[in-house]
Amino acid sequence: MDQMSFIPQVPPPLPPAQVSFTGERGEFRSMVTKGAALELVTFGFYRFWLATDIRRHLWANTSLDGDSAEYTGRGKELFIGFLVALAILLPIYLAYFLITIEAERLQELASIPLFLAFYAFGQFAIYRARRYRLTRTIWRGVRFWMDGSGWAYAGRAMLWGLLLVVTLGLALPWREAALERYKMQHSHYGNLQGKFDGRGWEFFKNAWWLWLLSPIALLVFPALPFLYAEFKAREWRWWLSGIRFGGVRLESTLPSTAFYGVYWSVIGWSMLFSMIFGAYTGACTGLVASISGVSFEQVIGPNSQTSIPLLVLIGIGYLGLALALSTVMRVYLQRDLWTVVLASANVHGIEAAANVRAGGELASALGEGFADGLDVAGF
Amino acid sequence: MGAMDSVQGDSGGATGAQALYFDGLSNTRRPVTIAFSDQLDIRQDGSIVARWAYSDIRRSDSPAGILRVACLSAPPLARLEIRDATLAAKLASRSTELDAHHLGRRGVARIVGWSLAAAISIIVVVLFGVPLAADRLAPLVPKALERRIGDAAEAQIKGLFGAKVCGDREGQAAFSTLVNRLHAAAGFDGPLESAVLSTSVPNAFALPGGKVFLLKGLLEKAESPDEIAGVLAHELGHVKHHDNMRALIHNGGTSFLVGLLFGDITGSGALIFASRSLVEASYSREAEEGADTFAIEVMRALGRSPKPMAELMFRVTGKEGSGFTILSSHPLTEDRLARMGKEERPVTGAPLLTAEEWKALKAICGSAAKT
Ligand SMILES: [Zn+2]
Repeated sequence: MDQMSFIPQVPPPLPPAQVSFTGERGEFRSMVTKGAALELVTFGFYRFWLATDIRRHLWANTSLDGDSAEYTGRGKELFIGFLVALAILLPIYLAYFLITIEAERLQELASIPLFLAFYAFGQFAIYRARRYRLTRTIWRGVRFWMDGSGWAYAGRAMLWGLLLVVTLGLALPWREAALERYKMQHSHYGNLQGKFDGRGWEFFKNAWWLWLLSPIALLVFPALPFLYAEFKAREWRWWLSGIRFGGVRLESTLPSTAFYGVYWSVIGWSMLFSMIFGAYTGACTGLVASISGVSFEQVIGPNSQTSIPLLVLIGIGYLGLALALSTVMRVYLQRDLWTVVLASANVHGIEAAANVRAGGELASALGEGFADGLDVAGF
Repeated sequence: MGAMDSVQGDSGGATGAQALYFDGLSNTRRPVTIAFSDQLDIRQDGSIVARWAYSDIRRSDSPAGILRVACLSAPPLARLEIRDATLAAKLASRSTELDAHHLGRRGVARIVGWSLAAAISIIVVVLFGVPLAADRLAPLVPKALERRIGDAAEAQIKGLFGAKVCGDREGQAAFSTLVNRLHAAAGFDGPLESAVLSTSVPNAFALPGGKVFLLKGLLEKAESPDEIAGVLAHELGHVKHHDNMRALIHNGGTSFLVGLLFGDITGSGALIFASRSLVEASYSREAEEGADTFAIEVMRALGRSPKPMAELMFRVTGKEGSGFTILSSHPLTEDRLARMGKEERPVTGAPLLTAEEWKALKAICGSAAKT
């Protein structure tokens, strides 16, 4: 043996693990188009199965270090969670109604605390919904999981929300950092504990001028999508770069212009479809007017005699519009956005995720049910 | 025997890893070889790490080009991944139940079927069950609760109109006379609160807990006590029928049930709103007709004609045209006029107010009431 072998070898830094998305866009598009049609046919009940299919597609095609993830949630679970949440929410709504009457009688603004109670409930739902999704996420035969308390989270979210109002939104970066810290501290992959390293200050440094520009953006139409895209891209980059699981470190190089294409595509398609719907409505009105022999003014004028065939025709057009728009939204805002974000992600120290022991309990879909019932969305 | 042997020979002879195995207890990536015997043998470094029965093997989600399977009798997250197409096909051909748990066309058809059944039952409940429940439950609502709701609504409405109660003493005396006569003729007990509010909106309304309000705007347009009496009798009808509580229960129930449908479909808000308005409008139209019937009975009991009331309404709203009536929440004034006209009988009772009282009532809100 030569002396070379006596020198302790410093291993070269490992290249970041590869993150990739391999799903076919066409496959996703046809899946969500069919799903949207089924949603219409089933009066919306198919939404639980469609949401599941979308997640399964996105998860299964996302691979990290050569192995793809898996989503094991099922539509039926979401549906049952929704029913249970409904059974719990109904008496709460009733009580809410009765208390509102009492409060209104005493003082007109007295019912605001009740609105806050519902906001807290919504935050709780967001936490529990995330917990459900995380426990259905599998990578290399080991699941992610979450502990912590939904109510503790809701309390934090409320306090930070108050600060957000008081500071006119300037506290947003610190709020997000604090809430994400809570969520990540209680997130685990097997026996690896999660952590959030993002600092509110970093996000603030990166995005404060957007806050200054936001009043202008609200007045000048084309500015708003740009501003929002900038904000979202910075938020994602900051969020991803703060995520840790044990020694595994995420990093994102997402350019701040990354979402321009996605948002403008959605706007473009929405405008196109709305114009088509407008033209269709006009054509139907003209058609009905010419068939029934009344003048155009009689059909659309202030003293209009709204005809049932016209309403039916417009209703059908409206459903078509809803179908087209929901497909566009899902393709661009869910799939394309996800691929853009993934393409920017690097994972360092993946070797720390070798030989992770499985752990954690499955969470129920009740949180998703509440989120559906309360119409809140979160992440 | 031959076939089995040759398959086993195939894989046994291969030295490289053919598959990846995750045991579901740790995330260690284990390169394994697989052999097809009477069960699926999974071997690592020559020793068997797992044996899976073919009938227990189920497909898991995976990207294209990879067959990923789980086993019902193994730890739930144990996975075997095969990236070689021919080997994957071999395993697939043996695992007869591979896709048994997938939703498939039949599963989707079942969801559609059950959803339609649910939607139809929701619609039936909205059209028949909710009105029935509203009719049955409204009289059972505790009086105290009804009064509280009424108080809350009164505070809100007064704030909305910025209206004050008109307090001219003689006018109030005349108003009480009129209301008391109607109250007696209507033959129902229970407290009644009534007042004229000083706002130029030509309307009248009843609130839960027996509150009836006449707005100055309508009083100004009235030409005889019978016109006002008819309107007040109509509002008393709403009180008698608990129409406010019925509408509250009905609209609450309808909103809730219709809200169950459509969920988060883009723009479903408009659909929900449209279908709800349709149902609620037809329900309130029925209530209005019921109140009209009640007004006719009361006016008859007093020996007066119900027709002036319809004439007053006609004067206020004008001709509405024979339009599409599904969406309107009240009967058309023409239809009302026609109905009241049909119900007209010769006047037998004494006038409800003397000329002086009528003059005082018209002036209840001060000088503005002069015509
Ligand atoms: Zn009425």
